[in-house]
Amino acid sequence: MSAGPALVSILRQGDTLVASIHTALDDSEMIRFQNDLVHQIGEHRARGVIIDVAALDVLDSFGSRTLRTIAEMARLRGATTVIVGIQPDVAYAMVQLGMGRMGAHTALDLEEGLAYLSSMRNRRRRAAP
Amino acid sequence: MGTRSAARRRDSRNLSWRRAVHFGAGRHVCRRPAPSSRATTGCSFGGPGRPAARMVTAVTSGAAAEKSSEPGGPDEDVAALIPMLRRIVGARVGQHPAAEDLVQETLARVLAAKDRIEPGMIEPYAITTVRNLVATMWRSDDREQRNRHRLHDPNEPHDIEDSVVATEEQSAITEALGRLTEREREVLLAHEVSGRDTRSLADEAGSTAGAVAAQLKRTRARLRVEYLLALEKVEPPTDRCRPVLLALSSADRRRQRELDAPRHLLECDLCARLSAPLLGRGPTREDEVHVPITSDPDIVAARQAARELAVRAGFSGTDLTLLATAVSEVARNIVKFATSGDVTIELLTQPQPGIRVVARDTGPGIPDVDRALEDGFSTAEGLGLGLPGARRLMDEFSIVSERGRGTTVSMTKWFDKKG
Ligand SMILES: [Zn+2]
Repeated sequence: MSAGPALVSILRQGDTLVASIHTALDDSEMIRFQNDLVHQIGEHRARGVIIDVAALDVLDSFGSRTLRTIAEMARLRGATTVIVGIQPDVAYAMVQLGMGRMGAHTALDLEEGLAYLSSMRNRRRRAAP
Repeated sequence: MGTRSAARRRDSRNLSWRRAVHFGAGRHVCRRPAPSSRATTGCSFGGPGRPAARMVTAVTSGAAAEKSSEPGGPDEDVAALIPMLRRIVGARVGQHPAAEDLVQETLARVLAAKDRIEPGMIEPYAITTVRNLVATMWRSDDREQRNRHRLHDPNEPHDIEDSVVATEEQSAITEALGRLTEREREVLLAHEVSGRDTRSLADEAGSTAGAVAAQLKRTRARLRVEYLLALEKVEPPTDRCRPVLLALSSADRRRQRELDAPRHLLECDLCARLSAPLLGRGPTREDEVHVPITSDPDIVAARQAARELAVRAGFSGTDLTLLATAVSEVARNIVKFATSGDVTIELLTQPQPGIRVVARDTGPGIPDVDRALEDGFSTAEGLGLGLPGARRLMDEFSIVSERGRGTTVSMTKWFDKKG
């Protein structure tokens, strides 16, 4: 078996999934990533999802839309999605494309993303009866 | 075509299909093999090739499709794909010896993936798969490499199979030589075979060495075209074919532009096929990249090629990302709305440094270009054309679209405009 570098990885930490995209994905790979991630959100009853896209040099309309879909599906399954690591150039291009609204919270990096999720968890706990 | 080349091509395709997908508790890693074999390695494709292929052969040759008493049985709908797949393959590779292999491989993959595909999605899945397979086959330019070598040195068979191939190629060369004019043949053979230099040939003809050299160059270009046609045993289907092939063979860019050669290559399967060995001959241009677009991975390849070309030319910063994103959008349009196309990326120096991207396809055409450029057009199902976005990312943008013939999107990014 030839084994190139991993395209994506999905790691579980408690009730949080950390998905990292390691390299440019084509559309089929992106869809596959979406399916796997959504599947794992259900399987592990995840409450938080972090998608790290720092390695992506382009988030075109398809990529942006797929991330938006993931966030939406995660929300329907009761999980909060944070997208971290969008490069400044990439963000600028996304806005020009008209894909600026992600439908998910965004954070600078993984640490900030985790901090956001834990603040959400605390808020939910406080809100609970 | 020699059996060997077909066998070798199959080997290389098998290699390129290998990939590993590991599922584990809480961890998923999807891997991709070497970049050169990306075309069929999208994570969602695959499945073991050979054993399943035999199974499909049994389905097709055993007339299971006609006689099965269970309409809609498990493999029935797969077998029903065969005529369509043969049509698709035929349109792309003609009578190529690998044609039936491609059909069978596609069926094998569809069967292997069947459990994972929604019933209604089998046909689109099969179409995508067969397109990927054909593209991969052309991309493994094994045959072109061999042809290129053979044209110079047809006489050294390395083994028995090679000698069969060499004989075919030898007779193709003989036939190609026969299609030159007597004068062309004389000068070429005097120079190439008898080793006479251009000056002595020029003296004899009352010409100059430079003119003889130019004539020799044209003759060689013509010989390459005629050789490939003789090898394929075909006559070009249109009047335009020979001029286009000649312009490619002689690397005459002005002539290529006059003839709109890139579009002809999109519309003419024969010339598209022959262009690979012809284009491979010329000096590779530093300032232009040509990316054929047939499937998903080509979108990534196109935008990476654009970025690399721009970086090589010394550009940097946000412009690179904007350019790559715009290329991604127009390349995706080709994959989504047309059967095939290509993206050409060209460095410009006049009137200022920049990059021009031309995306051509042979799709149905855009009925209303103005509307297609409006934001939100056809985005209801998330199927945006991506054109308004691409236009905003670039500095210049134009579309020419003809119904039933295809669309050409040209866009330019100037690099030193900003202060
Ligand atoms: Zn032609």
